[in-house]
Amino acid sequence: MSIFKVYENATVAVADVKDGATVLIGGTARDSEPTQLLAGLIANGARNLTCVCDFGTWDGADGVSRLAEAGQIARLISPCPFIGESGGVLQTLWASGELAVDVVPQGTLAERLRAAGAGIGGVFVPAGVGTRFGRDKETRVIDGVEYLFEPPLRADYALLRAHRADKMGNLVYRGPLRSWNSVMATAARVCVAEVDQIGDPGAIDPELVITPGIFVNRIVATAPVSREG
Amino acid sequence: MPLSKLDNAMMARRAAREIAPGAVVAVDKGLPQLVPEATPPMLGAWFCHNNGTLGDIPLGAADAAALARSGCVDLALVNAVQVSTQGDFAGVLNAAHPGLGPPGNVVDLVAGARRVVAMLPHVGGDGGPNLVESLSSPADGVGCVDAIVTDAAFIEIRSGRLVLSELAPGWTVADVEAVTGPELSVSPSLREMDFTPPTGQPATKVYPDGTSAIADLPNGATVFIDGFGGPGGMAHYLLISLRDLGSRALTIVSNTAGIARVVSFGTPPGKTAIDHSVLIENGQVAKAIASFPVSPSVSRPSEFELAYRRGEVDLELVPQGTLAERLRAGGAGIPAFYTPTGAGTLIGEGKEQRTIDGRHYILEYGLRADYAIIRAHKADTLGNLVYRGTSRNFNAVMAPAARITVVEVDEIVQPGELDTEEIVTPGIFVQRIVQRPADFTGYE
Repeated sequence: MSIFKVYENATVAVADVKDGATVLIGGTARDSEPTQLLAGLIANGARNLTCVCDFGTWDGADGVSRLAEAGQIARLISPCPFIGESGGVLQTLWASGELAVDVVPQGTLAERLRAAGAGIGGVFVPAGVGTRFGRDKETRVIDGVEYLFEPPLRADYALLRAHRADKMGNLVYRGPLRSWNSVMATAARVCVAEVDQIGDPGAIDPELVITPGIFVNRIVATAPVSREG
Repeated sequence: MPLSKLDNAMMARRAAREIAPGAVVAVDKGLPQLVPEATPPMLGAWFCHNNGTLGDIPLGAADAAALARSGCVDLALVNAVQVSTQGDFAGVLNAAHPGLGPPGNVVDLVAGARRVVAMLPHVGGDGGPNLVESLSSPADGVGCVDAIVTDAAFIEIRSGRLVLSELAPGWTVADVEAVTGPELSVSPSLREMDFTPPTGQPATKVYPDGTSAIADLPNGATVFIDGFGGPGGMAHYLLISLRDLGSRALTIVSNTAGIARVVSFGTPPGKTAIDHSVLIENGQVAKAIASFPVSPSVSRPSEFELAYRRGEVDLELVPQGTLAERLRAGGAGIPAFYTPTGAGTLIGEGKEQRTIDGRHYILEYGLRADYAIIRAHKADTLGNLVYRGTSRNFNAVMAPAARITVVEVDEIVQPGELDTEEIVTPGIFVQRIVQRPADFTGYE
């Protein structure tokens, strides 16, 4: 791994994403989505992507929708990719059969990503037993309780948003930004982070580092984003 | 005159009455999100939100999911569209998207909560009842709902029956029966709904000294003991308290079984470091589950080694990373997982083997304990913890996996004094706090 992780811009940082790649998208709310990286991925034009995200199109965020609108997403894995009437293009594409959607319980998705990042071959979880999420899955009774087997979910790329990075790739988040970004960072072969500030090594108190730089391959500085944009 | 249905704010006030002082409450999106506002701050409840925050404390998504499954959630409040007599429910997100059925986080919330309360209008948008014999939408949870707050009534589910126990103001039993699908049983203590905010406050977690903090630790208990190898990050004061208490036949789970004394990293001349050895030489330990149970020096065996050679203690050897992962699983509601560590070695003997995508794994089980005695740098009085440097070691992963976690800290501060971004162990995982006396050194 190169020790030079700071890339000139988002387009360069995601230039090697290929058709058919699996891409984790760390934030899906207005203040947490990696806006520039998603724009870079649209510029890249890679198609037939499998994208993984939490609640899609939340709070006015539109990066995943734009990627879908550009015809680049074949499959979306999410606990809730769109909500009600705000579903927009994702809902239209899903309804027309152009976009496959796998819905998964939120916590199980997080645990599958964690397992991938932790080298775990799979876990047994209680969530979803007896529901549609248990159908066709391996089950096991342990100490009298039924569980579902869930395999790890590993990806080619993770596109993240963090608050601060140092040039080694150590990351800190702020508030709810930590949620998906931190677990996805560990689960991809190439992890790209879009951050508000990039400091020199030592700029971040080690007690506060949430994602160690060993998980982060590329960093780009966030350009100022227009709220209207 | 048409019957007056409760508005959302009143439903939230009724739901808030289900919250006990200091309870951990998982809150689904929508209607349940009004409940925190309806709950007096004095009650000291912890609210886990859909965005991964616990109150103001940010958590990673995997940690938030672990918390939901861990068994520490006292109450889950779910936003339902239908509930059946069997306690099955369909969530709002799922029902709003026929053919897709997004679960959001509600499937996880109900998988680990001790009690589940569904919130929903009594009558659906189509005029039909929302309380039914069997769901018309796919279930998000099966047999899990304990009680229902509607805009007309409070209903409990007992043995496959809906039991009407409270009526909204102005409603009669007949009114509620008319809009309910299945037959209702009427509670002998039927009353009008009360909207008085819940009262009380949680008992203090701060104990005056180590002995009082572990006074109920019984013989035969399983106890997590933190620390790595040297004296750093180890609850020396609580170890001495446990020696003084004298509980016997303990199973201790720890990285080492006590080697700080023999390796003497940084120990002042003429002193010995306090470690697990104080319990072993006092005859209190029956078994250790550890990754590094022996002294690195053959000529200076540890107390545990000597006891093992004498046949006085049992030992279960666990690779260090597997020990950490088993503890994490124990605190995350994961009963078992496959790990590559030890596959094909002595460690894997007698364990389930599995090849997944061409790689060999063995099945390992989560570890839980009755007590954990751990060490942190600072706690606030709610039990939120920060560590310092490598002293974080096994502390952070042990805290959620024990029924009662007792922490020894250098300093106790007031709520709000720790930056929420720096909290490593949220207070929901810490039951008791003691301050290490200023003159206590960690050496004898």
